[in-house]
Amino acid sequence: MENNPTSSALTAENFINNDVAPEDVAIQKPAPVTKENRIQTIDMVRGFALCGILLMNIIGFGTDNGTLFKVANGPHNNADYITMGAIITFFDGTMRGLFSMLFGAGMILFLSGKQERPSGPRVADYYYRRLLWLVLFGVFNAFVLLWPGDILYYYGLTGMILYPFRKSAPKVLIMLGLLCFLINAGKSLWGWNETKDKRVAYLEAIAAEKAKQKLTPEQEAAKAEWPEIEKNYTFDPYYSQVNVEKTRGNYPTVFEHFMDRNVGGEIWWMYHGVWDFLGMMLLGMAFLGLGFFSNKLSTSTYVMVLLVGYIVGTTIGYVAFKGTIEYWTHPVRYIDSYRVPHQLLYDLRRLFISIGHAAFIMLVYRSKLVPWLMKGLANVGQMAFTNYLMQSIICTLFFYGYGFGYYDKLRFYQTYYVVFAIWTFQLIASTIWLRYFRFGPFEWLWRSLTYGKPQPMRIRN
Amino acid sequence: MEPNHPETSPVPQPEVPPASAAPGRQLSLDVLRGAALLGGLLISVWLFGGFTTNKQYGLLSHPSGGNYRLFAAVSLLFEGKMRALIGIVFGAGIALYLGKRLHADAAKAHDYFVRRQLWLMGLGIVNGVLLLWQNDLLFHLGLMGILLLPFAQASPRALLATSLVFMLIFCGKLFWNYSDDKTALRKYNTVLAVEKKFKADSAARAKQDSLSHKAVAVATNAKDSAAKKNEAKKDTLTRKQKEDKEKWEGRLKQMKYDPKADEGSRKMMREVSYVKLWSSTLSSTQGREAAWTYRIGVWELGMSILLGLALLKLGFFENNLSRRQYLLIALAGIGIGLLCGWYRLYFQNAALLDYGKYVKTRWLPYDILVPLERLSQAIGYASLAMWLLAVSWLGWLRTSLAACGRISLTLYLLQTIVCVLFFYGIGLNNYGNLSQWQLYLFVLEFWLVQIVFSLFWLKFYPIGPAEWLWRCLVAKKWLPFKNYNEAA
Repeated sequence: MENNPTSSALTAENFINNDVAPEDVAIQKPAPVTKENRIQTIDMVRGFALCGILLMNIIGFGTDNGTLFKVANGPHNNADYITMGAIITFFDGTMRGLFSMLFGAGMILFLSGKQERPSGPRVADYYYRRLLWLVLFGVFNAFVLLWPGDILYYYGLTGMILYPFRKSAPKVLIMLGLLCFLINAGKSLWGWNETKDKRVAYLEAIAAEKAKQKLTPEQEAAKAEWPEIEKNYTFDPYYSQVNVEKTRGNYPTVFEHFMDRNVGGEIWWMYHGVWDFLGMMLLGMAFLGLGFFSNKLSTSTYVMVLLVGYIVGTTIGYVAFKGTIEYWTHPVRYIDSYRVPHQLLYDLRRLFISIGHAAFIMLVYRSKLVPWLMKGLANVGQMAFTNYLMQSIICTLFFYGYGFGYYDKLRFYQTYYVVFAIWTFQLIASTIWLRYFRFGPFEWLWRSLTYGKPQPMRIRN
Repeated sequence: MEPNHPETSPVPQPEVPPASAAPGRQLSLDVLRGAALLGGLLISVWLFGGFTTNKQYGLLSHPSGGNYRLFAAVSLLFEGKMRALIGIVFGAGIALYLGKRLHADAAKAHDYFVRRQLWLMGLGIVNGVLLLWQNDLLFHLGLMGILLLPFAQASPRALLATSLVFMLIFCGKLFWNYSDDKTALRKYNTVLAVEKKFKADSAARAKQDSLSHKAVAVATNAKDSAAKKNEAKKDTLTRKQKEDKEKWEGRLKQMKYDPKADEGSRKMMREVSYVKLWSSTLSSTQGREAAWTYRIGVWELGMSILLGLALLKLGFFENNLSRRQYLLIALAGIGIGLLCGWYRLYFQNAALLDYGKYVKTRWLPYDILVPLERLSQAIGYASLAMWLLAVSWLGWLRTSLAACGRISLTLYLLQTIVCVLFFYGIGLNNYGNLSQWQLYLFVLEFWLVQIVFSLFWLKFYPIGPAEWLWRCLVAKKWLPFKNYNEAA
């Protein structure tokens, strides 16, 4: 069977989507029930993460920073502020974290248990070819569908680092993952200290000036530099106005408007932000090895993870949310009074809440309370790639000027009605689609590109 | 940069290596690597020694005199070509490395390959961020090796085609940058027209004011002044217009020689505290590793690495072509490269004299042919070297360059250490003190040092220290140093 390109093509899908339809599993090897269960839970968590990622992305799709700024500065008892608090506390970065973990886990599933064929492309060849196509899909998502928040680009590139770690022990992977987070925190602390130093130098220069001392050249420079830095921390309605105007424009206008953001984002995230993805992917590989994603742990363990994850995570999350509000409302006071940046524990918080989410899904699945919903999530997860791109297509057409032009027209909490509508649509559409096809349309395209020829897609009974 | 690795499979070498080649190594690649490594120093020394872009603009603005001719010659013969040559040799190394090992144990081969590349990126970060060489190339080579892994199994034809596509994208990027300039100038001119109109308006208003002033009664004065205030407000540029204006003015400033522009970098590089120098160069080093890679590096290095892969598979480095063919490719490649280079220098002069005029009148940027220039000339050099090896001329040069090529990673890091200690303020503080020809003299002496060092080193040890360290890191164990066996 290893010599049959189609069968190896089918197994190759595993590593991001894990979308092996039951009959494929049967072709590979007689799959025990536990194996199918394992795949199901991973798909469920992935479907959950994919839906959840829209909770954060909708802000980028539909709301201008100016509106966020107004919500932060406005009354604290209205629907907008409460929604914002809940979203930032419970979800900020956690769904991306979960998605990254499953990407890492999927990589192991893809690469493990495959025999090398003596001639022709090897598993690693397919792996790297697929990732390179994923990078191009990311470019497409950012520059053609015009979604500056794309992650496929980074997943493709970061995935290329994982290969040598595929056989590492969970312990090693966890250490490496935490090391990534440490680097991230160190970098953020470094930048923070530089800003603080400049602020202190400025205040000293001002004090010296007030005391009628003659300023040294360094003091003069510090005095001149700070107002420029402060500009970056303060909200400027001008850019909001330009942003809203342009995003409501026609396609060429939006394209041009997002060009700098796309390019700058891909440069910054790939070089400075890679630890964000890499850390979670390595941890995801470790957790797969420990049986966490494959429903192998005891119920009490999952309950424990859920409680610890949510309690620790949301505590940090709430503190971070307060910091965010302070940062948005009183940036200078924020810099003067905070000793460390409020997002210093960002990755740790993400980690706790993400595994809490995953444990939550496992427990709901085990409780057999809403099997139809779990099945629906598994379907969404099986078509994760398609659904992710569909979110870009739907949201850009709904919010941008060349579509319905709702950008920054809805109240903050109202954008979540759009999220619920998209979730419902994706749950239903994925379920119907998978009744007739092995995998989603974009999965099919991606797979066909990787293997250089169109892949069979219809389910034949 | 080394095509070979300790975990070599027991597969015997298909070709009989020439007598002077080390076992398990390809002499032609060692020679080319050594040549590119030494040649590249002529260009690196510009940045190390403070022969800044601005100073080069100064020469290019007045294209005459010995100093200009020296610069033009080095620029024509070396600038960017050595990087392309390193890319070609690196690409060939990838094909050689994987080709041998895939048959033995494919999973392990890929494992080792990716680990090698990751460690190379790590060494690049050490070289750039810690040793303070802002234009490090190791990081990019490591990255490109991983990115281009899916191409390693492609046919030579597909590789040549892809290399060409990369070259065209590189050209396209340069053209795109230029069209940004064109747009900036157009917007600038629009703003100028608006400003002109403002002046005319206010002149007309002033005239009207003085006429009506006597007639208007005191009672309407308040209303009048409010209206005037409004008109005056309309007469200032909007923020967008100001931004448009500043953007082009800034661009214009970049494209002009400014005698004072180098004071900042001079002060920075002559800083005596390592920590201060480190923090002031960090952003430029990281910019090179991040933004440059994204915008240019991927395409520039990609085109040459893919070409190197193709050439190795075609047997180019194993004397598969006739002497005549090598000579023809050499002449054609270098000829095309020099023509493109002449175009570049000629039009760059025009651009530096008056960039506004250049952008208004020319539809192509002066650097549009740079990708072709670099790639074509690098093939030419590679071919010339193959021809020289075939006719067995300059045997001493071959031996010297091959020795340098064998410990190229060590030498590359040594170049950084020596240049940093010689030029920067944390060392002998010669930054900006040497004139152009003195910089080349320094390079010449340093070449001799490197050649002598390499020959001596290889007399006593089979492997360079950095190469050894790199292989230990990849193998995750200490390998023998003194009795290191290349082919084992």
